[in-house]
Amino acid sequence: MFTTPRLVAIALCAALNFAIGNVVYLVKLPIYLDSIGTILCALLIFPDRLAALCCAFIAGLIGIILTGLVLNPFLPWFAGSVLVIALISALLTARASDTFRARPLQPLPFFGKVILCGVVTGVGSAIVSAPVVAYLFGGVTGSGSAFVVAFFLKAGEQLLSSAMLASLAIDPLDKVLQVLLAALLYRATPREFIAMLRVPQTSAPRAG
Amino acid sequence: MRELIGGPNFSGRSAALLQRLSALAPGNAFFVGPYAEAALSGLSSTVADEIAIYRSDAAAAARAFAPLDFAALAARKPPTLSGGEQVLLALHCFALSDFTIIGIDTALEQLDPANRAAALDFLSRVPSATLLVDNRLDHIDGWSVRACEGAPAFRLDLAAAASRLAPVRAPTIALEGLWFRYPSGRDIFRNARIVLQPGTTYRLTGPNGAGKTTLFKLLAGVLAPKAGSITLDGGAYAPWRDGNRIFAFATQNPDHQWCGATLGEDLSRRRRALARHKQIALPDMATLVDLAAQLGVTSIDQHLYELPLVARKRLSWLWPLSGALPWIMFDEPTIGQDRAACAALAATVTRLAALGHGVLFITHDDDFAATIAHTRLQLADAAIKA
Amino acid sequence: MTPNGAIGFGLILIAAAGTARGLTGLGVILALLIAFALASRRNIAAALLWSLGIVAPLAAFMALVWIGFVGRAPHEIAAGVEGSRAAAATYAATVCLRLFIIAFAVQALFLRFAGWTPLRFVRALTAPPLVKKLLVLTLSLIETILQAIDRARTALVAGGLITRRFSQVNLRNGWLLVQTVWLTVIAIAIGRTRDKWPIEGTLSRLDHALAAAAPRPAIADFAWGAAAVLCLGIVWGLR
Repeated sequence: MFTTPRLVAIALCAALNFAIGNVVYLVKLPIYLDSIGTILCALLIFPDRLAALCCAFIAGLIGIILTGLVLNPFLPWFAGSVLVIALISALLTARASDTFRARPLQPLPFFGKVILCGVVTGVGSAIVSAPVVAYLFGGVTGSGSAFVVAFFLKAGEQLLSSAMLASLAIDPLDKVLQVLLAALLYRATPREFIAMLRVPQTSAPRAG
Repeated sequence: MRELIGGPNFSGRSAALLQRLSALAPGNAFFVGPYAEAALSGLSSTVADEIAIYRSDAAAAARAFAPLDFAALAARKPPTLSGGEQVLLALHCFALSDFTIIGIDTALEQLDPANRAAALDFLSRVPSATLLVDNRLDHIDGWSVRACEGAPAFRLDLAAAASRLAPVRAPTIALEGLWFRYPSGRDIFRNARIVLQPGTTYRLTGPNGAGKTTLFKLLAGVLAPKAGSITLDGGAYAPWRDGNRIFAFATQNPDHQWCGATLGEDLSRRRRALARHKQIALPDMATLVDLAAQLGVTSIDQHLYELPLVARKRLSWLWPLSGALPWIMFDEPTIGQDRAACAALAATVTRLAALGHGVLFITHDDDFAATIAHTRLQLADAAIKA
Repeated sequence: MTPNGAIGFGLILIAAAGTARGLTGLGVILALLIAFALASRRNIAAALLWSLGIVAPLAAFMALVWIGFVGRAPHEIAAGVEGSRAAAATYAATVCLRLFIIAFAVQALFLRFAGWTPLRFVRALTAPPLVKKLLVLTLSLIETILQAIDRARTALVAGGLITRRFSQVNLRNGWLLVQTVWLTVIAIAIGRTRDKWPIEGTLSRLDHALAAAAPRPAIADFAWGAAAVLCLGIVWGLR
């Protein structure tokens, strides 16, 4: 399952999560964009669903550990969310891979699948992450979503329900954006790299 | 065994090299490819770690190759070395390793003449098998030659591309008091000054790491000087602040200049960016697509990174040859290109200058440079000397 | 002190920070951490400032949300009482100090092994070979991404699509930078995984370079480990 190209893809996607997620965290936007690499990893390795799930989860896990070490100590506690995102990406989002790569781009199926997969991913992630946000961090994780939690708290909601409502408000939108960006990156990825991930590695001498 | 693998571009030399290495020592042959990603391991964060990965106690004592002071460079990150320095580091790692066979695919073309001679001398005397692809060598004393003949591909027609060029009036460029250094590095330029005239071709020379590519990046606005100024016909020009509107830049590694995944994306995005500058006579898409076809790429949907490296290198000449921008910079344009392509490019560079463009080029290929009338600019001691 | 001992020490203190309920317990942990950092005989000011830099924006953010906007602590909300901004401030200070400790613990570890190359550090860890290899690969690919960002910037700045300074053009074309970085990284990855690594067996060379036995635990490992466990016990007792 873990061929060299797949190990490279895991590390690359983890680094992508790390880089983009941290920029968004520092700017305090009410979105995350820290799982693009996780979703992309699943797309790249599909149709081997088990490998896609495992590699996507490991990529996500490495990303949150690295971010936790360097910048955002909250993040490692969201490993459950990473698992849910990897699961949905491997079992649902990756099935749209042909649509995402079709040239020319077919807007209706492309964006339809992005929205569907993003919403499902967002709802799943929100359900798993809300208790962590509420009980471990009192609703404030340092990201811009805390403003939304505060709004619900001020409106009289309890902490868990505020965190849940905020997550359900933000996560689907955030994940739709992430699925879109992952799909665009997947679309741009050279065929050769995708082929390397889907078969056992062999040396492929090349004319030039 | 020492073998030189010859033949024109797309004749299968690279494939033959890799097949021979795999056959002679499966999974155990040292390989130095055309660019850094195939020259260094990619697993090290420092030069010291790169050496540690390859060092073997079983290495023969007679193998020594250290043209640079690698101890002084121990803490440097390998990607921050120049292309030539990375090749020298790769050869140094081979010398310290227990590999008994090495394959080199055009990487020696990035070395300055002194280091190139030292590398060839080392490879000629080291007690190991060597396979070499090099466009500037037809034979080496004591080496056998294997010729490849493959079907031509990605047809190059620079004569047609050059015939469409029109006269331009390029500005005179003056650099005054230029000062630049990389963070935690030595001065690359210290109060450097030079005047560059239009209609003239300049060759930048200097040892690996002297700052030739750095100068190109300063002129294109990718880097900003710590002090100093650039003027165009006497008027201030600060591309690091206002954007590049003068230089068409063909980078040493062609993958350093793509702005899209496909040819179409790259062309349309660059056209949109250049359209902001009203003084640029922008070619239309049809003209650019024709030019791409003359450089060997016929489909606008061609994924740039799915092209062979040699084809990507030729396509990287597109904007310099479009005539849209008055000054042209070629950074090692002949790496990986066979004699025919080099000769055609030399003729095109001459035509560009004759039409009024200013041209700057960097090359360690003295044969290529000799076919172009040029003024030499020597980069040394943090200065630029004509 | 060995890397294994240092990481063990750090993990125990991070666990202690996670279990601490109040400022007193967190203060004990911070004192031990500062002593650990000072024992490295290096200048700890940069490590403290870096950790402060990570937590300060969060602290300002929490102050705005909890003290300024919500005006009471979570336990007061749960109890349904009116609460006070002072309680909210204490809550925010507790969370921020906890995070400062976690951030500073990581910096203190880096401080102790400053001067070690990443390969030397990973080699000295007690971990399965696959984990060590993945760690080196990830660290090297982070370097690759930084290199790709530089290359992508060169391409887009020279092509006029983005500028060196912040601008509206950069906001519009920020996505292009992400795409270009990804493509650059993939090109580098293809070059290595298709040609260099299979021909050389480079990853098996890495296995060999990482294969040295991890150093035996040093006296410092036991001493600092014991101090961390004692600290954990104190924090638990203060709950």
